[in-house]
Amino acid sequence: MLLLKLFSPLAFFISLRTIGVVILVFTNLIVCLLIFMLIYMYFRSKREKNQVNYKLISDLLIHKAVFYDGIMLPETLIPVTKRVKKLIDNKYFRNRLTDELVVAKKNITGTSAENLKHLYQQLNLEQYALKNLKSRYWHIKAKAIQELYLMELKEYEFELYPFANDKNELIRMEAQVALVQFNGFEGLLFLDDITYSISEWQQIKLLQKLSNLPPVHVSIDSWLKSSNISVVIFALKLIRNYHRFELHDAVLQCLDHPDPEVRLQAINCFSEIYTDETSIHLISRFWREGLKHQLAIIKALQNIGSENDNPFLLTLLHNDNYEMKLFAARALARSGKKGLASLNDYGSYDNKLNDIIIQVKGELAA
Amino acid sequence: MNWQAFVFDGFTYLMMLYAFSLMSFYVFIGIFSVGETRNYIRRNSFTDYRMLASAIDAPSITVLAPAHNEGLTIIENVRSLLSLNYMHIEVIVINDGSTDDSLEKLIKAYDLYKTDYFINEQLPTQPVIAVYKSRNLVYRKLIVVDKVKGGKADALNVGINISHHDYLVIIDVDCVLEQDAILKLAKPFLEQTDKRVIAAGGVLRIANGCEVEGGRLVKIYLPEQFLPRIQTLEYIRSFLLSRMAWTRLNGLLLISGAFGSFDKEIVIKCGGYNNKTVGEDMELLVRMRRYMEEQKEPYKVSFIPDPLCWTEAPATYKTLGIQRNRWTRGTIETLQNHKKMFFNPKYHILGLVSYPYWAFFEFGGPIIETIGYFMFIVFCVVGMISWSVFFIMISIFSIGVLYSLFAILMEVLTYNQYKQKRDLLRLALVAVAEPFVFHPFVVFSAIKGNFDFLMKRHNWGNMTRQGFTHRHKTKS
Amino acid sequence: MKILVAEDDELMLKMLEFRLRKDGHEVIVTHDGREALAKINELIPDLVITDIMMPYLSGLEIIGAVKKSYPNTMPVIIISGMGQESVVLEAFQLGADDYITKPFSPNELSVRVKRFDKAIIL
Repeated sequence: MLLLKLFSPLAFFISLRTIGVVILVFTNLIVCLLIFMLIYMYFRSKREKNQVNYKLISDLLIHKAVFYDGIMLPETLIPVTKRVKKLIDNKYFRNRLTDELVVAKKNITGTSAENLKHLYQQLNLEQYALKNLKSRYWHIKAKAIQELYLMELKEYEFELYPFANDKNELIRMEAQVALVQFNGFEGLLFLDDITYSISEWQQIKLLQKLSNLPPVHVSIDSWLKSSNISVVIFALKLIRNYHRFELHDAVLQCLDHPDPEVRLQAINCFSEIYTDETSIHLISRFWREGLKHQLAIIKALQNIGSENDNPFLLTLLHNDNYEMKLFAARALARSGKKGLASLNDYGSYDNKLNDIIIQVKGELAA
Repeated sequence: MNWQAFVFDGFTYLMMLYAFSLMSFYVFIGIFSVGETRNYIRRNSFTDYRMLASAIDAPSITVLAPAHNEGLTIIENVRSLLSLNYMHIEVIVINDGSTDDSLEKLIKAYDLYKTDYFINEQLPTQPVIAVYKSRNLVYRKLIVVDKVKGGKADALNVGINISHHDYLVIIDVDCVLEQDAILKLAKPFLEQTDKRVIAAGGVLRIANGCEVEGGRLVKIYLPEQFLPRIQTLEYIRSFLLSRMAWTRLNGLLLISGAFGSFDKEIVIKCGGYNNKTVGEDMELLVRMRRYMEEQKEPYKVSFIPDPLCWTEAPATYKTLGIQRNRWTRGTIETLQNHKKMFFNPKYHILGLVSYPYWAFFEFGGPIIETIGYFMFIVFCVVGMISWSVFFIMISIFSIGVLYSLFAILMEVLTYNQYKQKRDLLRLALVAVAEPFVFHPFVVFSAIKGNFDFLMKRHNWGNMTRQGFTHRHKTKS
Repeated sequence: MKILVAEDDELMLKMLEFRLRKDGHEVIVTHDGREALAKINELIPDLVITDIMMPYLSGLEIIGAVKKSYPNTMPVIIISGMGQESVVLEAFQLGADDYITKPFSPNELSVRVKRFDKAIIL
């Protein structure tokens, strides 16, 4: 031990006192953490008990509003008990009620939905949402935006517009959906000057919002030329979903776009809008593309191909890639009797191809 | 300086160094996981997942569920897979050479018939005996494959060959999934922008003692038995803290084989699951990461902290020992296969941080600890032991306990699954007991794994299922 | 008319129940697919209204089961948040009698339900 103390610098670290202090610190930390947890749990369970209560009150209130029988005028008041009026000042109750209102509103349309909106405004809940809009936390801001559009408070559209190109992704997303909710297809104009890319998730969200609205003819071609790749892809999805045949040639140009994702989306788009010549254009680009795109092209041909494409598809049966063989065989089988007949002639060449043909025929029969 | 003092000194130094680096990793993990988890919860607190369930552009997903002698529960497990909230899905159940009546039961329950099915053998596997589909329209998303036994990795590779969708969700057929599990696993792939998301993992929770009915979780309880309860704590620590932290760093190396999703294209390009290792789940992810690094493509591995998948933990020391032994061998094999990346700057974080961490702490930890114990005893016997060494050991223990408590705190603050007040105290108690009871056994099993690896004993070991006893009702 | 409603969202379920009761129907509420199917076989309702995404058994499976056991006597109305063409088509292929997309209007629901009432009386 003496040696250790004399020669080792470690002696300093591991002197009894230092170690003692370290241990003391640790035990203290452990005890503190435990106490904090217990206190936290205590308050949490108390709050949860209240939450159950709040939910009951909220549900009752929503119920009353949804099935309110009287004629609803702007000045009509849905009867609200004194207790609820008092509770509105309680943050936890207010959040609970707002959440429940939003969920109910999402599921319901017609006069009942109007009544819900009426209740929301009558209780002055929008003031809190507007306050949250100025919060310094992005998640609170984003949630406030969501609340405003789900409640269809179109009057605040201009407050929301600048958020559509916000640097925070979540805020941006909610604001874009808000614009679409308020203005339908015309709300998509934000695509003209958006600099951030739109994630696939967001595209799905926007398309979903649009699908509940009556289609309106907006001009899409400029978005196809956008320098923002995600905007181009989104435009192609719009063309596909709403069958915008007149843009066939513009989509054709996208087949030569430098970005592979755009090309892929353009190929997929042609499954829905096509003319007699579409397949020729697709086939002419076939050998320039990688496997993924080639398979997409054959898949598109399954829907749009004619017997004229059969010679091309037959050459693919010689390809080394079995997935390609399978896709080509499927496209042939679906192109009509002639395609099917030529497939039958091919079966004997190799065993695997034979298996493919049996499967494809089975699919046809099913 | 005489040699004994030198050895003693060196030993004390090393122990301090180990304790210190372990502590710094704990601190780093704590901070990072708090950040990542908070971010996730904020991002998703007002997300409407169900919108994705039927969207046209929702990614197409294949659920792969390999099954080997699961006849007891297979019918209801498959049914619960089929009722998951997601439309663009196909469920492939791979019967890996079961010797029980699993297949007959499936055929009967789901009205299956043999189809002519061309299998594109992109990954080499054991032969497929037959592919079944259902005559009933309601079950048209179901494909059942009967194959010659080849192990889990082989079964999954067959599933990948058969799958025609873009993403794979791998699950253990006996796991209990939340209704929205697929929706939540699919979302990260849709959020990718500049970085390609190659895989997304999910949290595993312990289902022992929980009320399970018809393949669904009805009520959550803290396990009554000691071993499962201690593993509950272990899983919370490993999933909620460690994996979230690694995700933030984009250095996650392991997605559990019981629940995770992958980009099929990359999986196939990497050659699928390796059936020569017992740790095929870790090995695949490491290989995928390595592939992406070598292709110089930016990529990301996501992780979902929501409790989505509940699994049964081994409840006896015997099965636990077998499981940990296998995990150790899996880790060694993976590290060995990819040793090229060790401190290789070409592989960035993967080579400089993740791999070394696994090598030193996950693989090396038990070994270093054992040497530590051993030396401690030797010093004791020789009479060289001082209070100081003893204190170092106590502080290592308290760091561990503190870390566990922090994990419990995180659980309480985030998902708070265990509602009863005394559950929290019970978990805390377990946290204190762990270093004395559970941990030495885990270390022992790991050492045994090392030993077995050197002796080249490659087998999975049979994990006998306990079944969701007590509250479990079988109904098909 | 005896109507069975299957819906996993508590608030929605209550609203449906209330509205249908108000119209003078007898309402059986169930919270998941399995419970629904059990009650259908036990109580044999005149009409089934079901969500698609539910625990244990999906609404689509319920249509399948109902149409197998009670081919012509028990109409099924789907009420779902999924409005995509493919899902709607699938539901009708399986034999659904009507399909209502959420967000829905309670008044509209009530009218649609009445149609089936008349069909039985005639």
